[in-house]
Amino acid sequence: MRTRQLLMAILAASILISSSWSQAETTDSEQPFTAPEGLQKLLSSVDDKGAAVIGEEGKAYFEGLPSHAKRLFGEAVANEYIGAATQLRDLLSLELNTSKLEAVLTNNCLLCHSNPAYQDSPTLFSLDPAAVKSPPYMDLKLLLNDVHMRHKLACAGCHGGDPTGNMAHEHPAEWPADHDERVADPKWVPQFCGRCHSDTKLMGQFNPSLPTDQLDKYKSSHHGRALLEGRNPRAAQCVSCHGVHGIQAANSPASSVYSKRIPATCGKCHGDPKVMAGVKVRDGSPIPTDQYEQYKTSVHGKALLERGDVGAPACNDCHGNHAAAPAEVSSVAQICRTCHARNGALFDGSRHKESFEENGWPECERCHGNHAISKTSDAMLETSKGSLCADCHDKYAGEKAATCKATAAHFHDTIVGMAEATVDFKEITLDLAERGLDIEPIDDERRNLDDALKQSRSQIHSFDRSDFDEVAKPGIETMDKMESLVEAAEQDYGQRRNGLLVAAGILALLSLTLWLKIRAMERDQRKS
Amino acid sequence: MSATAPRSGLFGWLDERYGISPLIEFLRHKEVPIGAHPMVWYYLGGMTLFFFVVQIITGVLLLMYYQPGEATSYESIRYIATKVPFGWLIRAIHCWSAHLMIMSLVVHMFSTMLLKAYRPPRELTWLTGFGLFGIALGFGFSGYLLPWNELSYFATAVGTDSVKSVPVIGHWLLLVMRGGEDVSINTLYRFFAGHVVILPLICAGLISVHLLVIQRQGMAPPIHGETARGMPFFPNFALRDLLLWLVCLTTLAMLAVLLPYGPGLPGMEWELGSKANPLAPAYPGIKPEWYFLWIYQLLKEFPAHLLGMEGPEVCLLVVSLLMGVWAVIPWLDRTAQRGRHSPGFTDLGFAVIYFLTFLTLKAADLGVAETPTNDAETAVVATFCAYITLGVAVVATLTRVLVYHHRWFVLSAAALAHIALHGLLGWSYLTVGAVVAVVTAVVLVASGQLRTGAEAGVES
Amino acid sequence: MESSTDAAKHTRRSFLDLVLGIGATGWLASVLYPVIRYLTPLPSAGPSGPVKLSADQVKTLDKERFVIVPVQGKRILVFQDPAQNVRALDARCTHEGCTVQFVPGESVIWCACHNGRFDLDGRVLSGPPPRPLSQYLARQDAEGGVTVTPQTA
Repeated sequence: MRTRQLLMAILAASILISSSWSQAETTDSEQPFTAPEGLQKLLSSVDDKGAAVIGEEGKAYFEGLPSHAKRLFGEAVANEYIGAATQLRDLLSLELNTSKLEAVLTNNCLLCHSNPAYQDSPTLFSLDPAAVKSPPYMDLKLLLNDVHMRHKLACAGCHGGDPTGNMAHEHPAEWPADHDERVADPKWVPQFCGRCHSDTKLMGQFNPSLPTDQLDKYKSSHHGRALLEGRNPRAAQCVSCHGVHGIQAANSPASSVYSKRIPATCGKCHGDPKVMAGVKVRDGSPIPTDQYEQYKTSVHGKALLERGDVGAPACNDCHGNHAAAPAEVSSVAQICRTCHARNGALFDGSRHKESFEENGWPECERCHGNHAISKTSDAMLETSKGSLCADCHDKYAGEKAATCKATAAHFHDTIVGMAEATVDFKEITLDLAERGLDIEPIDDERRNLDDALKQSRSQIHSFDRSDFDEVAKPGIETMDKMESLVEAAEQDYGQRRNGLLVAAGILALLSLTLWLKIRAMERDQRKS
Repeated sequence: MSATAPRSGLFGWLDERYGISPLIEFLRHKEVPIGAHPMVWYYLGGMTLFFFVVQIITGVLLLMYYQPGEATSYESIRYIATKVPFGWLIRAIHCWSAHLMIMSLVVHMFSTMLLKAYRPPRELTWLTGFGLFGIALGFGFSGYLLPWNELSYFATAVGTDSVKSVPVIGHWLLLVMRGGEDVSINTLYRFFAGHVVILPLICAGLISVHLLVIQRQGMAPPIHGETARGMPFFPNFALRDLLLWLVCLTTLAMLAVLLPYGPGLPGMEWELGSKANPLAPAYPGIKPEWYFLWIYQLLKEFPAHLLGMEGPEVCLLVVSLLMGVWAVIPWLDRTAQRGRHSPGFTDLGFAVIYFLTFLTLKAADLGVAETPTNDAETAVVATFCAYITLGVAVVATLTRVLVYHHRWFVLSAAALAHIALHGLLGWSYLTVGAVVAVVTAVVLVASGQLRTGAEAGVES
Repeated sequence: MESSTDAAKHTRRSFLDLVLGIGATGWLASVLYPVIRYLTPLPSAGPSGPVKLSADQVKTLDKERFVIVPVQGKRILVFQDPAQNVRALDARCTHEGCTVQFVPGESVIWCACHNGRFDLDGRVLSGPPPRPLSQYLARQDAEGGVTVTPQTA
């Protein structure tokens, strides 16, 4: 026990010495700081088990602060804005830089609302909202990282009042006084955010490149209309997607509306049948809730969520964001064309265009699907029963079905032939290379074939045999060229082997005769 | 046809001026001892020489297209291997012949060692031969970098790095070899100059001396050679040499056509791969050529620090010591100097063979599918290689006992014990090595055999 | 009897020598063939059609009145004759293979090595060159670009 006490004493002494050193450093320009009694008490307070509430790290951080920051802490404790050791611990553990710390320590709203002595759980900011049973948006750390907070728009900016004054204050006019009313019908939120975000002049001071038409767009959106017209108080508004405290800029990966996180954010509501209950699509049927699940399996979803390709489209790239609306049947194809322009143009010139219009079918979606667009495959062109082309043509093409199917089969066979050739020739060239033959010309042609294959696959969308054949022709020719190149290489190898055979034969003959010669010579030598 | 009679024609004209007849006479009377042991050992030097001549011819041919340089080295070799008619053949023969040359050189050296052909008066033959061995390794090392491909780049980086362990001048030597801190195109220029000018010049000189002393003294007879018969060097032996060279050439042609990129064994392949990229990270499985594998493995067996020095420094010291001892063997082997069998040195030869075999096999990662990444796999390799080496040793020992009636096995037993304890029981290579070395030394001193060079050993 | 075996032996020996000779010749051929093929340079690769002069070359042509351009591994002299027509000749002097030049002042093609002179059609005017220079097709388009066709005109 004694040794332990001794150790503690040494530790305490060393802390004292080191702290006096750090104080000495700051005294050059400022008055030395001695912690007032209240702050001292909080700093050294212990919990019911006798352990220090504020650990060494927190204390060290405090000691490292300049005196004026320490003095602010002292004042906040003296004025009872900081009223609990746990609150002080939380504030210290954030390890804020000095300027941010000053902003926090001079913000009475924040100090008071993080003081468990004054606040009940619904209005208490803490580092762990779940532990103190407050709502998730009462997270102190998120709040301090909020993009508004970083631009010096603190609590009072939305909630009103004076952060340097006492707690009693008026709310802004747009703020519904009654809490239950605020939560039950958040119709007021868009206008409230729009106070600033629709003000071009005001927004220009912070982020001139940020648009200010969100509110207008929102009003035209399905979400906006459902909410503002009072049809659905659950319809998404600003905070549904952007969050409450802790809003981040949309291009920050931490934001809930960052492109990679959008599908999950939309899916939070659209994937939940309870939230979607009662919402109907145009034809009156209930809205499906499997879009997010489907999207995750789609080629776009995989590109965005698995490969992290932020250029791949998320929900908002087709449906819009603030003006979110389901794409009309006629406009789906236009949305696809924003990226897949060539295929769209080919389709527009094709015979399908007309029949699709007659039947009122969506264009791309008809074959490729919507939320679950899968990676296209050559198997889509198969003409057996149950395949994409055959089913549709059997049903709608009438007499022409057979011709159509023959064309599809031609597309399929040509493309599969080329695709298989690219794989086969790769193996062949590897084999040739291992035998020391020159594969460069074959490899060059293979690149051409790859290119022709891509072009041909795209050309399918013209649904025209002669157009397709024209595009596929270079590919077929390349295949022939490669065939003859491989043959030439094989011939070269054959020549090498034949050459070897001849040379080895000659050498063997020479060796043999030389051996006979030596024997004959030695026989003579023995005789003489 | 008497050689002394004056002759007309070109020969007469030359003989009159340069006195060639005595040389012919000398050659006519020169004899190769035969009978006491298989003649095959006498052909190895000639075979090595043949491969060296092939190297010169194909090397000169490659020079006609090779362009050293950052943007040309790799490309020109690629051009030779793919576009130039028979370029692939010339390159493949150059590579194959290089490996076969070093193989026949190594066998030549060990046969010379085991048959004690180094004994007086042929110390200088041994010494020049040892020098030629070093030159051959230099040829291999410098030539490896010239294609400037990924494999050669990293192997050279590793290989030149060990130079820095030389005391005092290590860093300077590294700078001189690399032409800078890192392996760069400057290194390639230096290696190119070494490969095509410096080494060939030194080599030509050494080969001249080596051949001159052999021709002057004749080939070493077996240690009890008084009874051996003789075969005329010219034309009998020379024609046999020629025959062997024809066989070698045929073999070379076959290997070059059927396996243009080598047999695919570790340290014995020369597929061009991709161009060297100094900024690309190294990948597993990079190995030097097979004749450097034992040093490469020995470096791996040494810890980072040993005896207050850095591991590689100690390793280099050990290798230098071994090489030094090997070079002065003719002066160490007092028994053979007196024209008697020295079983101790015979056994030393075998011990060295086992030592090198095990390390080489282990460096080749035999026994596992891919380059080992953890200790367990390394242990598997060690065990597998130990079994192979021990198997080889059993066969060799049985042959020695039954055919050659050898009776002295202390050193080879020590080498095998080292391999067995490390490979089969998983003990540290270095610790076991040190223990075995000490025990062997004690045994030798105690039995008084160290000084007498096992004179007391049974003579066969 | 003995003489007949001797004779047989003799024919056998000479047959052996013959085979040996044939083998040695064949061996020499099989070694030399690859080496000769290896040493024979490949035809220089390059576009075989008409070659368009680069902007720099056209600039030189305008300034110096002539320019030497490489076309398919050959040196070709492109020059402006007094009538401002662009013409092309083989730039390799038929004497010792030096590169010739156009002398605008005298309207001759001149080889500095041994003072060979040619007229603008490539015919030898004076000096040692044994043959005329080959002519090539050169054409100037409206934009000033010059094309040389590697065929004798």
